[in-house]
Amino acid sequence: MIEDNLQDNRDQSDGGQTGLRANVERIRLNLVERAEEWPGPIKSIVLAFTKLLTWAFWKPLIWALFSVVLAAIISAIIMEISGYNSLEAFSALIFGALTRFDRVLFESTPLIFAGLSVAFVFKAGLFNIGAEGQLYMGSMAAAILGYIIPLPYGIHPLVCLATGALAGALWGFLPGLLKAYRGAHEVVTTMMLSYTAILFTQWLAAGPLKEPGEFQWNAQTTLILETAQLPILWGYYLHAGFLLAIVCVIGVAFVLNRTVLGFEMRAVGFNEAAAETAGIDSKKNVALALGIGGGLAGLAGASEILGTHHRFYNSWSPGLGFEGITVAVLGNNNPFGCLLAAIFFGFLKAGGNAMHQQAHVPIEMVGVMQGLVVLFVAAPRFIQWIADQSLDYGKWFSVDKIRPISFALNMIIALYGTYFSFILLGETQLGLMFIGISAAVSILSIAAFFMIFARNSRGFIVSLIASMCWFTLAAVGMGAGVDVSFMILVGLVQAVLSVLALLLVKGAGKSKGDGA
Amino acid sequence: MKSAMKRFLRRGIVIPVVLLVIIILLLKFTYDAVDDVETFYALTGWLLEATLQSATPLILAALGGMFSEKSGVVNIGLEGMMLIGAFAAVAATYFFYDPWIGLLAAVLAGGILAVVHAIICVKMKGNHIVSGTGIILFAAGFTTLMLEVIWNRKGISEQVTALPNVNMPFLQDIPIIGVAFDNLSPIVYFAFVLVIVSWYVMYRTPFGLRLRAAGEDPSTLDAAGVSVEKYRFIGVVISGLLAGLGGAYLSLGRGLPAFGKQMTAGRGFIALAALIFGNWTPFGVLAAGLFFGFLDTLQHFVGFVPAWQWIQGYSQFLQMIPFVLVVLALAGIRKSVPPKAIAVPYEKEVKA
Repeated sequence: MIEDNLQDNRDQSDGGQTGLRANVERIRLNLVERAEEWPGPIKSIVLAFTKLLTWAFWKPLIWALFSVVLAAIISAIIMEISGYNSLEAFSALIFGALTRFDRVLFESTPLIFAGLSVAFVFKAGLFNIGAEGQLYMGSMAAAILGYIIPLPYGIHPLVCLATGALAGALWGFLPGLLKAYRGAHEVVTTMMLSYTAILFTQWLAAGPLKEPGEFQWNAQTTLILETAQLPILWGYYLHAGFLLAIVCVIGVAFVLNRTVLGFEMRAVGFNEAAAETAGIDSKKNVALALGIGGGLAGLAGASEILGTHHRFYNSWSPGLGFEGITVAVLGNNNPFGCLLAAIFFGFLKAGGNAMHQQAHVPIEMVGVMQGLVVLFVAAPRFIQWIADQSLDYGKWFSVDKIRPISFALNMIIALYGTYFSFILLGETQLGLMFIGISAAVSILSIAAFFMIFARNSRGFIVSLIASMCWFTLAAVGMGAGVDVSFMILVGLVQAVLSVLALLLVKGAGKSKGDGA
Repeated sequence: MKSAMKRFLRRGIVIPVVLLVIIILLLKFTYDAVDDVETFYALTGWLLEATLQSATPLILAALGGMFSEKSGVVNIGLEGMMLIGAFAAVAATYFFYDPWIGLLAAVLAGGILAVVHAIICVKMKGNHIVSGTGIILFAAGFTTLMLEVIWNRKGISEQVTALPNVNMPFLQDIPIIGVAFDNLSPIVYFAFVLVIVSWYVMYRTPFGLRLRAAGEDPSTLDAAGVSVEKYRFIGVVISGLLAGLGGAYLSLGRGLPAFGKQMTAGRGFIALAALIFGNWTPFGVLAAGLFFGFLDTLQHFVGFVPAWQWIQGYSQFLQMIPFVLVVLALAGIRKSVPPKAIAVPYEKEVKA
């Protein structure tokens, strides 16, 4: 009964426009209608502005924000369990990044290029996970031209950048051709060619292009000439590559949305067969998309070498090409989204240093956060599901009081049990038995939480088993001579709550024929 | 059984023959180069042993990848699962002083990460590649973080007890074989057993049939009343368990029994290459894994023969071979038969 009601409500909210969204949509349509009468430039600006009012614009943004928040929560839990103060860490991260914003932009520069590379290729329906190799090729080409030929100021960096882009583009074009004409899956070929490129540049830096010198053991090329260096814009780090990145963002957005090439690429990405039927040469577009993506990745490498490192050395890139995937994913494969996402990740990286210095949390925490963000963004339905379930709970609460409350209490205790058992996992001196049971409790509790959240009444049985585990844990702990009263308390509360909830659900099943 | 044998012979004959020719040529050249029977035996024995050692993690991870990809889920997160397995093995051994518990922890840790991948890819119909990237990033960050939290060190953890090696005294008198098979980690033998078990499970049980059907033709499997999601979930989790075991071998099975930052060093990707080069079959994976392990060993091997030491300057090209071979294989030099519905989330048709 309740389920049916809720289903109806949900259908209504999905089908018809609810309050705020409907109003915004009305305003937008009104604006679009009026703009038709206005002169050209104003009309296009207004029309561009109206796009900001659509749900299609806000949805990915809100989704991304949601995943960032969820990732932050889990990171905080990991920090707490590892014995760091998560609040202090986050505040250090945020203030550290805000006070050194030049550093943020500096860290985000290569990420913008790499993210654009992945996003551009994705628009053509392909996945470029080999941006790392293209980036290495680009950086190597730029580094070689940087020290081999003398050129005047101003022209030299441009030549180096162009060569870097070209090298990257060639390295991206190769899998593009293989995909277009031999059907080789680009995910695998770009990945494999990426490693090939890394090894090849490694050989170049260690062998024929190694910096001469008797005591030179490092595998690195000669420093580039001063004429080839990109000027510093702001602070110690931020170089002119950032401006180029911004230009690239605008350029990619323009190419994708305002040119025939971009239209064809998107058509191929949307439906290759349909594009072929419409007379678009999908092979050409596939190869070209990967080529241009490779060029963008090559620019990332070239600008890093010319702006920061000033020479090529082995494994200089901390997985920038790989992080490009995360940027593109968080930016919803939109050029401007990529810009925002890259600045966000640059923010994390720059803040990570401050976090390390002030809260003593290792910088690797940033990598953990990055991975978590990507995992959450990868599953949009997860966030959708959480939002739907939460809405349902709200509506359920308005028709029924006792059962939602018992569900909520059970969820809280399950979540607390998870947290508590995670902390107990650190008490390794208590022996294998103890740790094994705590691990079991934590897994059971988290499973119970999600099952109850999904309104699966079997979750209460899992919760009950978890509470039994708490008692066992207490018994084991008593043998080891630790204070176990808190574990017994948690177990007792969990047992009572789950039994009560089970009774309530069973009662509902009898009277209404449908358990929550 | 007979037809399967025939098929195996027909399809799998190329790689073994190529391998055999290379090995025979290499042995001949080595013998010419050292010109001394005792040294020759020791060298080739070492080569064989090191090949087995390098191949084991690749074979394990690639076998895992096979279970996942056969069920229709791309798993580029193998690298991350191996890494977390390597870490969990050392951490659990460090706390409980028993490498067998470390082994168990490694398998479980890989499995837990695989559950995350499975939830995202199978339940939430997320993008497999993106999820795999997230897994890799998370594992790399998490293991390095915990390295610092537990041991308060940056590069490498404290040394723990290694898994006891298996001794084969009755083999010791045989030249080459004696050097090669004596004193190996039990995981090496375990990997070979797992290849056979995987083949049996994959091709001779209803479970394997359903798993393959989930990757080849999910709608038919669904029409037969079997849950596609369930089989894909199981496939991904098995891949995590095996990759975790492969990671445990890296940290506990050979060399210094400790965890080093980023110690998988791209082996997860080489495992993917072995999977593709082995054409998504257990024995193909075994052959490809051995071959790639052999290439990995070769770059160290040439250092032992004075006449060949110049090759070491070009060792990067030896390391490149697996990757280049896979690109060539996919470009159509050899027929690659990936599962048909790979990377396609299965959506049940909605009831009207």
